[in-house]
Amino acid sequence: MQYSELFSWWVYSISFSIVFLILVSIYLYANRCMKEKKTTVFTHAKNFLFVWVLIGLLFFYIFSINIASALVFAAGNVVVEVILLTYLLKSGKKEPEETEYR
Amino acid sequence: MKANGRNELPRQAFSVVPILVRQFKNPIFAILIAAAVVAGFFAQPDQSISIISMIVLSVVLGFYNEYKAEKIVDSLRKSVSYKALVTRDGKSYEINSELVVPGDLVSVSVGDIVPADMRIIKSKDLHCNEATLTGESFPVEKNSDSLDIQQPTPQQLTNYTFLGTVVANGTGLGIVVSTGKNTEFGSISRSLARAHPETEFQKGIKQYGNLLLSLTIVLAVSIFSLNAVLGHPLIDSLLFALAIAIGLVPELMPAIVTISLSQGARKMAQSKVIVKRLVSIEDFGNMDVLCTDKTGTVTEGKIGLKDYSSIGQEKDPRVLTYSLLCNSAVVAEKISGNPMDVAIWEYARANGVEGSLKLYEKIDEIPFDYQRRMMSIVVRNDGKTIFITKGAPESVLSKCKYAEINGRNEPIDTVLKSMNEKFVTLSALGYRVLALASRNVEPEAFYSVDDEVDLTFLGFLTFTDPPKKDAHQAIEKMKGMGVEVKILTGDNELVARKICDDIKVSVKKIVSGSELSQMSFDEIKVAVEEATIFARITPDQKLDIIKALKANKHVVGFMGDGVNDAPALYEADVGISVDTAVDVSKDAADIVLLEKDLLVLSDGIGEGRKIFGNTTKYVLMGTSSNFGNMFSAAAASLFLPFLPMLPMQILFMNLLYDTSNMTLPTDNVDEEYTKWPKKWDIGFVRKFTLFFGPFSSLYDFLTFGIMLFIFGASPALFQSGWFIESFWTEVLVIFVIRTRRFPFFKSRPGKWLSVLVIALVAFGTIVPFTPLGAFLGFGAAIPIEFWGLLILMVLTYLLLVDAGKVFFYKICKF
Repeated sequence: MQYSELFSWWVYSISFSIVFLILVSIYLYANRCMKEKKTTVFTHAKNFLFVWVLIGLLFFYIFSINIASALVFAAGNVVVEVILLTYLLKSGKKEPEETEYR
Repeated sequence: MKANGRNELPRQAFSVVPILVRQFKNPIFAILIAAAVVAGFFAQPDQSISIISMIVLSVVLGFYNEYKAEKIVDSLRKSVSYKALVTRDGKSYEINSELVVPGDLVSVSVGDIVPADMRIIKSKDLHCNEATLTGESFPVEKNSDSLDIQQPTPQQLTNYTFLGTVVANGTGLGIVVSTGKNTEFGSISRSLARAHPETEFQKGIKQYGNLLLSLTIVLAVSIFSLNAVLGHPLIDSLLFALAIAIGLVPELMPAIVTISLSQGARKMAQSKVIVKRLVSIEDFGNMDVLCTDKTGTVTEGKIGLKDYSSIGQEKDPRVLTYSLLCNSAVVAEKISGNPMDVAIWEYARANGVEGSLKLYEKIDEIPFDYQRRMMSIVVRNDGKTIFITKGAPESVLSKCKYAEINGRNEPIDTVLKSMNEKFVTLSALGYRVLALASRNVEPEAFYSVDDEVDLTFLGFLTFTDPPKKDAHQAIEKMKGMGVEVKILTGDNELVARKICDDIKVSVKKIVSGSELSQMSFDEIKVAVEEATIFARITPDQKLDIIKALKANKHVVGFMGDGVNDAPALYEADVGISVDTAVDVSKDAADIVLLEKDLLVLSDGIGEGRKIFGNTTKYVLMGTSSNFGNMFSAAAASLFLPFLPMLPMQILFMNLLYDTSNMTLPTDNVDEEYTKWPKKWDIGFVRKFTLFFGPFSSLYDFLTFGIMLFIFGASPALFQSGWFIESFWTEVLVIFVIRTRRFPFFKSRPGKWLSVLVIALVAFGTIVPFTPLGAFLGFGAAIPIEFWGLLILMVLTYLLLVDAGKVFFYKICKF
């Protein structure tokens, strides 16, 4: 692997961006959704599907880059795209409610 | 006209200089100049020339668009005309005030903006508000008396009225002495328009600009310092830091806002809504309460005299004759002025009774004012001097000592109860009512309001103003858009309720002016939330209502066209007037309707919300994709042994990115977005940045990984590859961010936005392989596999951002 001395820097950088995104997601979620009384652990887990995808992506990206395989990287991306598209189509059945003052 | 030019107010002048100057006030200009100087100083003439080219391109781009936008707005503003009543060769004409020339005889009355500097030759209780000229906040009395003052100041010239000042009371006739730039007003070149306070949107945009500017400074200084500490070449580090700073500064914000607003103003003009103050469009969209009078909005606004009556068996024709005499309408070929006075004249003409006026000689007049709610006139007929008063029944009846019944004067007490009952009955039927009274007086040189006593009640005049057929639909439409309509009327509560019943508008509560006057401000704040109608209110109370609504955090629109409406028009977040309004109201308004119609207004509100939506898209783009890119560039510069992108490449990408945003104002806005009022929320922007910014950085880091560890890229290949990925993600993400719908392709983007973004993506992809690319420092061939990975990666990025929207908008409910 060329530039192998930079690999750990790269892992830190990409991990930092994903961990930061996850922390922000938790912060936003806690601010808006934790006050809802009827929320179960399952609902929380379901609501965090986006975060699970992010964590999966982090491991997948580090793995595929580490083995320097364009093919694995491409195949993995296609799988992620299918998952995301299904999630979006399912979520998009009911339009997001337009809140006042936004 | 040839000698003096058009009588234009200085505020109407349109000049290219301020627009050009504004381009150089942009912070990016200083940063670019600094970069050019640094490059030139350290013997990098190529970079210096390129940066100067960027400066020229930025200035030209900004200037061209703002010039075009301002030109549109200027022409729209000019379509709102101010009228002057002039007498030429003994004939009276109502002409556009721009056509007034020295020597014209001009009549002015309450609410008029004086169209030129004039020597008063005749006046009656004439008072002018000269605050715009002298700073004096109280109206100054004006008369025709000669003065003997050497080199007088405008304040001392009590026999002159000046262009741009407002007639606060009375009437006057003057001869025009100077016009346009030759007037007192023109010579001091002071703007007539009062400074409006900053709108919430303006404040928000400023906050956002400051936030990004401080972030930029911190980031640029940190990048330069860290790169220097890590031993990277100082000049390269400095230019790189400056390029990052340029990439972050939202330099196109003023142009985008101006273009959005001017295009919106042009569209609104097609719906007969003229925007005088561009920034008010945003507040127009945000408006959630509209206060309006009912004439012309919920009623046809075509007031007609239905009938007149006296107390006795037969109708006394003097009621009609006296009401023609005691009348402020301007009678020329066309009758203009107060609608009720006009209605009396039209009735008289239709019934052929105006001829009887020749028997009367006018002696004096006491003009109408909103405190007395009546006007009086003194005439001579057949050797008798008659004092006639016409006005609101409550006001006139309170000044009556007698009532004339079948030719005999009886004490008013004998009929007061039945007269009040009649007034209530007529009002409950939806009629507007005026009362008429008179008395014989001794001949005197002058008369005043003190003479309005001991009158003899003669009768009522009954007016109709039928409700508009589409009033219910219009109010429901406004309600559906989240705008509550409140009616502020000078009519009594019975008339107001009847009209609301007719148009099937549910009335929560009616608050009268007298009730309002007993309330503290805190009580008014409660009352304004509960009431739908405010009846018999004074101008001051209109102001209190608007202040209370604003204190309750509403964005308040006020629609008015009368003299008494000007303060409320200034106080409201959005002042709306009509083209037929008195000058002072039109001048105070932010928006002028060419047609007084609530349906027209609702179209304008929708347009305002679209503009707000498209401006917000630019902000969200800048804070997410652009910020993410610059952040990853900064981070990469720290651990890479070479610069991730050359300063020139960053500047070039920034230019392309800016160009892609130029068509944002033409973008479609989702229907559901325009359903509710919007408010600028910097907290929302901050959260959006925090959440969506890292997506872009994530995929930048991923590209670094691919370029370094899969393709083992040289610096040139790395820079080319990242330039393309970075540019693709930066501009294509607009299709995701521009809508709240998911998947994003459920919302159709604007045609020009799509065409420009796709064309720029194609251009940005080809550039690295052209001579321009070579000049910019690109140079390596990109492996074919990279293109495949790039397409997949960008697609994943767009879908991931879209999934982020589900979390942000649907789950977290932002």
